[in-house]
Amino acid sequence: MSQLETEVFIIGGGVLGMAIARELSRYKVDTTLVEKEVDFGWGSTKANMCIVCQGGDTLEFRKEYHRSRLVWESIPLMEPLCRELDVPFKRVGELSVFFDNEGKAKFQKMKTRAESMGITTHQFIDGDTLRRMEPNINRGAIGALYDPTIAITDPVRLTVALAENARQNGVNLMTGTEVLAISRGAGAFEVQTSRGGIKSRFIVNAAGMFVDKVAAMVNADDFVVFPVRGYVAILDKKVGDLVNHEIHARPEALGEMNIITPTVYGNLIIGTPMKLARRNDFSTTREMAETTLRSVRRLVPDISERDIINSFAGFLMFRNWELGWHECVVGASRNVPRFVNVSIGYPGVSAAPATAKEVVKLLNQEGLKLEENPKFNPYRRAITHFSDLSDEEKRGLITGDARYGHVVCRCETVTEGEVVEAIGRGATTLDGIKFRTRAGMGRCQGGFCTPRIISILARELGIPEEEVTRKGDGSRLLLYKSKQLLETAV
Amino acid sequence: MTLRDVDVAVIGSGPAGMAAAIKAKETGAENVVIMERAEQLGGLLHQCIHNGFGLLYFKEDLTGPEYAHRFVEKVMDSGVRPLLQTMVVGISPHRDVTAVSSQEGYITFRAKSIVLAMGCRERTRGALNIPGGRPAGIFTAGTAQRLVNVEGFVPGKKVVILGSGDVGMIMARRLTLEGAKVEAVVEILPYVGGLIRNEVQCLHDFNIPLLLEHTVSRIHGEKRVEAVTVARVDKDKNPIAGTGRQIECDTLLLSVGLIPENELSLMAGVELAPITGGPVVDEGRQTSVPGIFAGGNVVHVHDLVDNVSWESELAGQSAAEFIIGGKRAAGRRVNLKPGRNIRYIVPHTVSGEKEVSLYMRVNEPEEDVRLKVGSIMTKTVRAVKPGEMLKLELSQAQLSKLKEGTAEIVVDCEERGDR
Repeated sequence: MSQLETEVFIIGGGVLGMAIARELSRYKVDTTLVEKEVDFGWGSTKANMCIVCQGGDTLEFRKEYHRSRLVWESIPLMEPLCRELDVPFKRVGELSVFFDNEGKAKFQKMKTRAESMGITTHQFIDGDTLRRMEPNINRGAIGALYDPTIAITDPVRLTVALAENARQNGVNLMTGTEVLAISRGAGAFEVQTSRGGIKSRFIVNAAGMFVDKVAAMVNADDFVVFPVRGYVAILDKKVGDLVNHEIHARPEALGEMNIITPTVYGNLIIGTPMKLARRNDFSTTREMAETTLRSVRRLVPDISERDIINSFAGFLMFRNWELGWHECVVGASRNVPRFVNVSIGYPGVSAAPATAKEVVKLLNQEGLKLEENPKFNPYRRAITHFSDLSDEEKRGLITGDARYGHVVCRCETVTEGEVVEAIGRGATTLDGIKFRTRAGMGRCQGGFCTPRIISILARELGIPEEEVTRKGDGSRLLLYKSKQLLETAV
Repeated sequence: MTLRDVDVAVIGSGPAGMAAAIKAKETGAENVVIMERAEQLGGLLHQCIHNGFGLLYFKEDLTGPEYAHRFVEKVMDSGVRPLLQTMVVGISPHRDVTAVSSQEGYITFRAKSIVLAMGCRERTRGALNIPGGRPAGIFTAGTAQRLVNVEGFVPGKKVVILGSGDVGMIMARRLTLEGAKVEAVVEILPYVGGLIRNEVQCLHDFNIPLLLEHTVSRIHGEKRVEAVTVARVDKDKNPIAGTGRQIECDTLLLSVGLIPENELSLMAGVELAPITGGPVVDEGRQTSVPGIFAGGNVVHVHDLVDNVSWESELAGQSAAEFIIGGKRAAGRRVNLKPGRNIRYIVPHTVSGEKEVSLYMRVNEPEEDVRLKVGSIMTKTVRAVKPGEMLKLELSQAQLSKLKEGTAEIVVDCEERGDR
């Protein structure tokens, strides 16, 4: 592979890297983004509570924190962004529930802090109002702090949308490309990747959980991160109406962290006790599941283990003490010019819009020339989502293309037409289809659609079924053809 | 929007749907349609290429596809209209059935009566919450069965099977015959979940280790399954610390239970029974919504297909009678209540007016017991097991012993004190 040259090189195709890539595509800047996985948004972006527009919903939000400012500045940007990119967005509001006056006092502190930042939408509601808004809440709750600003989205779909829009505006996106080494040459970095060398004047390090490892490659690691693992479980849509808002309580009030929130698709998500963990360890434990269930049931007693249809681990990245435990890193390296580190930790999705703007500003300060791209088009259309359409639209769609009349995922009513569209937009794996179409995300968790999607992927990609993977190299789904094990000693 | 009028709409063309449709037609319903999402009639029978089907119904030992074929021929001869590649996506309480079809588009039928015959689906790992990574190589036994028997692929060569449901045990044998090594079948209970005949013919005859009172406590591997930890469980089914051992494998199959598929039933407002997960039905298999009937695994999970066919014939007959005879006045309803060591009974109510078969399962295995239906019938049984469904026939003579005004009959599985 001949050496590729680019002006700005972004490492990491999560929501932050992709928001930065898309923001840069507003300018005539030659940008390349690499992602080590075969698709975008598969790191921390995919494993969180899907909440955005936090306006000081925890006590760690402080006026003086860089992170808090980026989250706050993103609030007015998020909904327009989702609209431009045709990504689901729903303003559900948040209820910080308390069970005694001590709990209320803590939330009063939060409210005061938010108000000091000019956020005046928080209000206290009493127990009766709370029960009207959330009829299934624990009887012991005496009130809540209500923040109407909080919203939910689909972070992976947002990332995929940002990717499609960035690509359409000229950004070069490379998947399955891992950064192995970075060296500083004359006026430019030489980056060695698993798919060849790349030369770039500027580097944006948005490597998510590996942000410190990448920074260390070029001695730009003037910070340390601590990975903290949380647990997230998805509940069946049939209990989706148990909860209408994002609700949580103070950990101190109930002994454990607990969040319940609706999703844009009608499921509920519950999470998340947090523990320090190895950052490569995405496994869940029995204890995590039990603790989460126990703690969320103190908020909404009707939530049952039986309703969990999937669960996984997510990571938050905390910083070292000297920067402030909760502070983020969005800044040019002190040691290395033209090298910008980006790590929000959490909530990365919420902070992405303002962070992207800030990083472009930082690059400009580091010497990147910004000339407007007159061809920049902010709009991107989502693929068809059959189940969202009106009856009339459904009829029209099937008449035009019979593949939309072939339902391959029964739980989420996803059609062959949508799967083919997703492949056309860059999905190459079972998980890639899942995140774009929701096929396999329903209550049967792929039992029905997996064989069907494997054969569509094989057909559309022109590969044998045995080469189809769940999530890239090393994750083939069908290892052998029938009788193959009998014919040869494999 | 055009509504298409039909007499009886049968949802699903597995053994339940086909039997119901044929019977509805025989009973006199004119316009009977079967809606099937696949390309052919027969449902999951096509992937069940093992034998053991039809021993009771046809008095013959057939494979799944052979059993299906017998019914497909009858469907074709009977004048029932099959609508293939037609996925029903909605049913309303007033019996509008909405379906998606690549040929017909997005269509709505107005049915005079409906038979629910959607069968069941498999419980998944998510529902079980097994700790560990999220690698490729985890399949439900039924999905693996389709991959091997219909699609022509073998998921892996070193396999552990969690759960000893019938499909899991059958796949243990099937994968062994395909040259894979089944390292173990792991069952959390002290006894197998499926039929004893499958334990013998699929596991013992092939020397496949069966680990009772064990579970998979962890899955290893991020990209593809690399191993599982198998541990002994305590009385509360929790893994006992220190008993875990790692078994190297590339595939984990799950055979941890079946759940009646009732999302459509719920849309129609049909009441479900908490234990079976299927509709509450009377002896004619009418659900809580008049004109909506149900048969087969959508009502409760069966172990023998023969019973599915018989039960669904009842549903089909009632669906036709509902149209022909008009809405009958609600007759007497006597509730059947599970008593000692009885998990559930189907139907949930009887009229007492005609003979009826009771299908039931026990909670715990027991030997030398007496099944007692109120004061109207007793039957001694040598052994009962949760994995084997019990069937009791109540004659009209026995039912006539019911006292006027009886609201409930308790069915018990008693220890025999006379031995």
